[in-house]
Amino acid sequence: MRNSLMIGLFAAALIFGGCAKKSVELETPTEQTQQVEEEQATTVTEGEGISEVSPESGTIESLSEQEKKIQKMKVIESEAKKIYFDFDKYNIRADQVENVDFDAKLFSRDDAKEFKIRVEGNCDEWGTDEYNYALGLKRAKSVRDALVARGIEKDRMTLISYGESNPVCTEHNKECWQKNRRVEFTLLP
Amino acid sequence: MRSVLLLIFFSVALFSKDLTMEIIKEVEKKPLISVEDASAAFSDSLNKKFFKLLVADLKVTSHFNVDERYSSAIFDTSFDFTKYPNNDLIVRFELTFDDFGNLLSRVKLFNIKTSEIAFQKTYKINDIKRYPFLAHKIACDINDYIGAPPVDWMRRFVIFSRYTSAKNAEIVVSDYTLTYQKTVIKGGLNVFPKWGDKNQRTFYYTSYERKPTLYRVNLYTGERKKILSSEGMMVCSDVSKDGKKLLVTMAPNYQPDIYVYDLKTKRLKRVTRYPGIDVNGNFIENDKRVVFISDRLGYPNIFAKSIESSAVERLVYHGKNHSSCSAFGHYIVYSSRETDNEFGKNVFNLYLISTKSDYIRRLTATGVNQFPRFSVDGETILYIKHLKNQSALGIIRLNYNKSYLYPLKVGKIQSIDW
Repeated sequence: MRNSLMIGLFAAALIFGGCAKKSVELETPTEQTQQVEEEQATTVTEGEGISEVSPESGTIESLSEQEKKIQKMKVIESEAKKIYFDFDKYNIRADQVENVDFDAKLFSRDDAKEFKIRVEGNCDEWGTDEYNYALGLKRAKSVRDALVARGIEKDRMTLISYGESNPVCTEHNKECWQKNRRVEFTLLP
Repeated sequence: MRSVLLLIFFSVALFSKDLTMEIIKEVEKKPLISVEDASAAFSDSLNKKFFKLLVADLKVTSHFNVDERYSSAIFDTSFDFTKYPNNDLIVRFELTFDDFGNLLSRVKLFNIKTSEIAFQKTYKINDIKRYPFLAHKIACDINDYIGAPPVDWMRRFVIFSRYTSAKNAEIVVSDYTLTYQKTVIKGGLNVFPKWGDKNQRTFYYTSYERKPTLYRVNLYTGERKKILSSEGMMVCSDVSKDGKKLLVTMAPNYQPDIYVYDLKTKRLKRVTRYPGIDVNGNFIENDKRVVFISDRLGYPNIFAKSIESSAVERLVYHGKNHSSCSAFGHYIVYSSRETDNEFGKNVFNLYLISTKSDYIRRLTATGVNQFPRFSVDGETILYIKHLKNQSALGIIRLNYNKSYLYPLKVGKIQSIDW
């Protein structure tokens, strides 16, 4: 009885502790309404009271379940081939089809079947903000559709675009940009 | 017969007046202003930085001829007019701290033409890091003194997202020169910040969680509210004038399209249905229509459509790559890649067009010019320029055909709003 009570209290402390919002500096900016007269201080309030916002804890999924399988997933992930794209295009190039075939076989293997697949679209640095993220998503969708055509279940795959935010090469040259225009895979438990 | 003669006389007089009418172009003379620094030397050269910022602000108004030479003085002494034989105005400032640690700036503006002190004021700010806003406020007051069109956009915030590492970006609030910077969201991939109301008290941004998720944040209370999430991508592209509707790009079936989201009814209305890419929606013409980027011709270009109807209008007929735009009223500014293949030169120029006419105006000539954003009054455009491994923040004063650059060291900007 005593043990259960202790466990209950501990769990409650964890829950409430985990959900507590981080403190945020509160400072209401005052508006300047009075006409400024000679030698009277004009208070400039722009930027006063701006606080840093921290995402609430508890929104990020616990990784404990993933940790059990992470080693196995990393091995399979490292075997997967990246799919590369032409400048400003999201159709799969002829020379990339064998990579798609390879990935389809890889993800169909018995040791890979238990995992979900996140198909991640990436771009070079030359698109502009929104368009680049959409282009990355369309690349991921092209690869997803090609994998479905090769027998991978559609529901196993989720898609995300990282736009230009996830470069594998940060130099500013054509070879580097070609490496960044890619789709790659992350396995999920 | 007499009336006929009179008619002929008046007709001749009328036409002769037309023929002899002269158009005199009046070149308005801008007042020449000098700035004097009356501060004791600051160890971190704050007074020098303040001087430079105030000079830059006065230049950017486009309403003054600004003497850029650094000049020092003692605040409570009289002006040495012999130093400024051609001047109209002299402004003198003195930076000090009060007993509470507030940064004070005493300012005296002298009008040489009328031989009188135009105004003498003391400005105060409680955080020294926010000193750029002091300079901007002083520049606005001097501008108002000469009766020039207001430049209050100088006092507004800019909000931007900058990459810090792979899959990591933070949201930063700054002044319009990006001199003052305060990070307000960090940790993870935080992108596409957009002001949520005209007073800049709230903003929207996308956080990459299990799904890309749109949040609204109150800048002053720190309150963060989840608005929407979507598979694939989720971006707040524009906010209606009344702040009640959002134009979002989302992809519930991994298909990026533009939607209108009503914050009150929480209803989503799909605006575009093309199976390729439709993004970057901006309200135009009293929020009745939408201008957006689409690849429906096989390359990114600018289109417009009414929210209620399905007809789509192509707006730009030159070039092959226009992947970003911003709108004000019926004006649209967009960034155009001048080559459409990866082997061409990476030159991006800004263009201004109107949805009401064939008007088109190129605003830049060199470098990579991106992220154009209109000021709140539509008369000024802010943008980012990259040229020869250097970055700058650009300001274009549309009515004056002038542009100004501030050197930047902020890292790679993901998206920006003003």
